[in-house]
Amino acid sequence: MNYDSSTSVDARELSAADGLLILITRALDKLKPGDTLEILSDNASTQHDLPAWSRLNAHRWLGTVAQNGRWRHRIEKGSVLRVLTDKELDWGNRAPIKDGRFDTRNWLLGRAGEIQRTAQPSDGFAPRGASVEEGSPEFEFDVLERNRAWSHGAAEFYEQATAGHWDASRDIPWRELHTLDEDLERAICQLMTFLAENEFSALYVPAKWIARIHPHFAETVLFLATQVRDEARHIEVFVKRALANGGGLQFSSASTQASLKTLMDQQDFVQASFMLSVLGEGTFLDLLRYIETHAPDQVTREIARRTRIDETRHVHFALDHIRSVLQSDAGLKDSLYRAIANRASILSGMKGLNPLVEESLVILAAGGLSPDRLSSATKARIQLYETMHENRVRRLTAIGFSNREAEEVSELHTPNFM
Amino acid sequence: MSDVIKVGVVAYDPKVVTIWEGIKEYFTAHSIAMDFVLFSNYDAQCDALLDGWIDIAWNTNLAYVKIYRRTGGNCGVLAMRDVDVGFTSKVIAGAKTGIQTLRDLKGKRVAFGSRDSGQAAILPRYFLKQNGIDPSQDITAIRFDLDVGKHGDTGTSEVEVLNAVINGEADAGAVGDQYWARALTENLLDNAVRAVWTSPEYCHCNFTIREKTDERRFAAWTNALLAMDYNKPAERKILEMEGLKRWVRPQLDGYRALFEAVDELRFFN
Repeated sequence: MNYDSSTSVDARELSAADGLLILITRALDKLKPGDTLEILSDNASTQHDLPAWSRLNAHRWLGTVAQNGRWRHRIEKGSVLRVLTDKELDWGNRAPIKDGRFDTRNWLLGRAGEIQRTAQPSDGFAPRGASVEEGSPEFEFDVLERNRAWSHGAAEFYEQATAGHWDASRDIPWRELHTLDEDLERAICQLMTFLAENEFSALYVPAKWIARIHPHFAETVLFLATQVRDEARHIEVFVKRALANGGGLQFSSASTQASLKTLMDQQDFVQASFMLSVLGEGTFLDLLRYIETHAPDQVTREIARRTRIDETRHVHFALDHIRSVLQSDAGLKDSLYRAIANRASILSGMKGLNPLVEESLVILAAGGLSPDRLSSATKARIQLYETMHENRVRRLTAIGFSNREAEEVSELHTPNFM
Repeated sequence: MSDVIKVGVVAYDPKVVTIWEGIKEYFTAHSIAMDFVLFSNYDAQCDALLDGWIDIAWNTNLAYVKIYRRTGGNCGVLAMRDVDVGFTSKVIAGAKTGIQTLRDLKGKRVAFGSRDSGQAAILPRYFLKQNGIDPSQDITAIRFDLDVGKHGDTGTSEVEVLNAVINGEADAGAVGDQYWARALTENLLDNAVRAVWTSPEYCHCNFTIREKTDERRFAAWTNALLAMDYNKPAERKILEMEGLKRWVRPQLDGYRALFEAVDELRFFN
């Protein structure tokens, strides 16, 4: 329907209590203050109802004429804004939908696609592109800068994440479990305990930042939500593996807890993301590959494989995020370095990885405590540490660190892997 | 006399404190020292104004008429709400009663609000009489005398009038159009009741002062009040709670009917 400065609606028998007021309100919404709306009605009570409604809604009542058994009412639209905003609404942008698929990368339409340099605290929970009423409360989000909180790749990684969800109860071949050598089972249970506690930090850290990042940077928040969901599944599957085969949860060391606590204590989103995902989860990729390679059973192998695929996504998201942060502000590299050095000094009393975990890595590769295999298994474990270091350096150089800087940062990384 | 302008307000609801703290804050921001004094009923507030305890009284139409009489017409009015102009009362009737005009009310049960409510009792009775229906003879009047002293501000008696008509305890009833518009918007009617008659327009609340000649003394206060803007978030919050879009200058013609009504009912005798 097109409206001009004088518009008419035919309300027929509708009464004011039955939707007529909505019809009138929507018609007035399309008019400018001072324009006239004519309402035709067959309902006698409208002549009593509409003047009262107009007065209380600050529209001018122009009167009623009875005509051939109908009533013709006229209202002049008042100047009061229903919603206190002067921002225009978008209308008419159609999303590109290919093969029935609306990809999140394609939702940057009109104002929904305008990523502000600094998000407005009073935009609160309004989705980006909505017209927010003045007087809305200021939220206490403190990650407000685009160059800290948003990256082009987030939408793509979010798409990958939603497509890649799996079910730890059903998608692991639990029925294939069989009794293992007790030393080997104990080593696996210790590794699962260690993995689960690390994954708790990988759940809590992004969860904490979700609550602090402004919803304007929705892609980042949505991706982090998938990361939280992934980690929930990982915690579930690692704990289940520890419990499934007659073993049980093993030791959690003070050194591991201390290392993970420093991740929770980070007060800067970029630094936290760098430590957790680029360095920590990055290192975990090699750990999970190692477990997958040496796992004596199909269940442990499948668990390591599936969790590694998820973790790879987290690492790639973080690499993309940190790379774009550093591109917009190269000076931030120093602050990342300082944060790593600071964490290293807090953890300076830490001698190395929890020995129980380190031994378990060797026992896993040896398939037990058989003396003839422990030697080569020890070498495999040493090789793992070297691979972890090399891959950290490779990732760091990929996002803008020089080789020397990358070596240094990698050396400073916590011996706890995460 | 201190420089702080004291405004009397009847506390018909806890929100009155929130509203007036907001208004006080607004005046403070405009460098006008103002405070409010709460009263539990309009009689006490009228006495306080006449005794000089307060400078301005936020009055119902009935309280204004009372002050007017007691000052021999010397009192003044500073401002009122936009919704206080063009106020009407409605006669509402049950949809199945067949009542379509005032004449149909004869012999029927008609519900009224509190006896000191201008919109739901005093003026409807007056207008009915003007239109040939004598409330004391031609109808069976049902009264809901609730919150007497607050001049119908709480709206509780109008709720009872509407409910009585909806559930058939009364065939018809009288309510103010402000409550009626709310009932329409909030879908309280259940198609069981409709408006059949609208009274002539009259005025409702206003800011009354003791002496008309003092209007200039309060000019800064009045002008600041009139400048409150519904399109500004903080001011909108206050105006919304008080049920208006803007404050307007007084229109004193709108009290004529109430003067006649209280005389006829000997209300203040």
